[in-house]
Amino acid sequence: MKIAIAGKGGSGKTTIGGTLARLLARGGLSDVLAIDADSNPNLALTLGLSREASQQLRPLTRDILKRVTGEDGEQRTVLAKTPAAVVDEYGVRTPDGVMLLLMGRVEHAGAG
Amino acid sequence: MCGAHAAVRSLLTEMIAENDRPTIVDIEAGLEHLSRGTARSVDTMLVIFEPYFKSMETGARMTALARELGIPRVLGVANKVTPADEKDLAAFCLSRDMELAATIPRDEVMATADRNGSGPLDVSSSSPAIDAIGKLAERLKADG
Repeated sequence: MKIAIAGKGGSGKTTIGGTLARLLARGGLSDVLAIDADSNPNLALTLGLSREASQQLRPLTRDILKRVTGEDGEQRTVLAKTPAAVVDEYGVRTPDGVMLLLMGRVEHAGAG
Repeated sequence: MCGAHAAVRSLLTEMIAENDRPTIVDIEAGLEHLSRGTARSVDTMLVIFEPYFKSMETGARMTALARELGIPRVLGVANKVTPADEKDLAAFCLSRDMELAATIPRDEVMATADRNGSGPLDVSSSSPAIDAIGKLAERLKADG
């Protein structure tokens, strides 16, 4: 199960996505992972984390990626660690057992 | 596309595709930053919209774009719905070929959670909106 939640700001997308993740976990689905990839991240609060805890989340950075050259000679970007190791290192367990990962941001103003 | 953007996108794509947990991803509000790679890493997209014209139009456009990007299943979820909206909502979804997977009623628990900056489930364990999301969860779980 890999579900993306889309919608305009204000539509309730984060509230629905976070609540869906918690209800899946409460309903007995184990190891649910929630990834916040919105540029204005607030999935943590919907998942039940306190404001303090949500401010301490460590976002994933590009440091966990590496460039490799495949057998076909093509360069590809892949994870430098296993996803499980990434979740262990960066994930935060929320009150209903959903693990939360926060994606890193791209700085827009003059960067990139 | 700049290098930093590309890296963040591949990071997201790799994390979704390579982990074996059931995964829910809250993506950028518009779909303009969604790459084909990221789209291909998910099996379902839920498009959340509200039952007024501009929001439904946005939802219809997102649905079409998500299908173009190759997401196998794109489902509509209408939020903050009152009984008066239901007829127009159903007609709109039919006319734009959108499958309406859930109708989440306008609900005081959701509004309270919004105001508090907390989760609806931290306000109450049950409400009409929470129960509708619960039904959607059951369906998604049954589909695998």
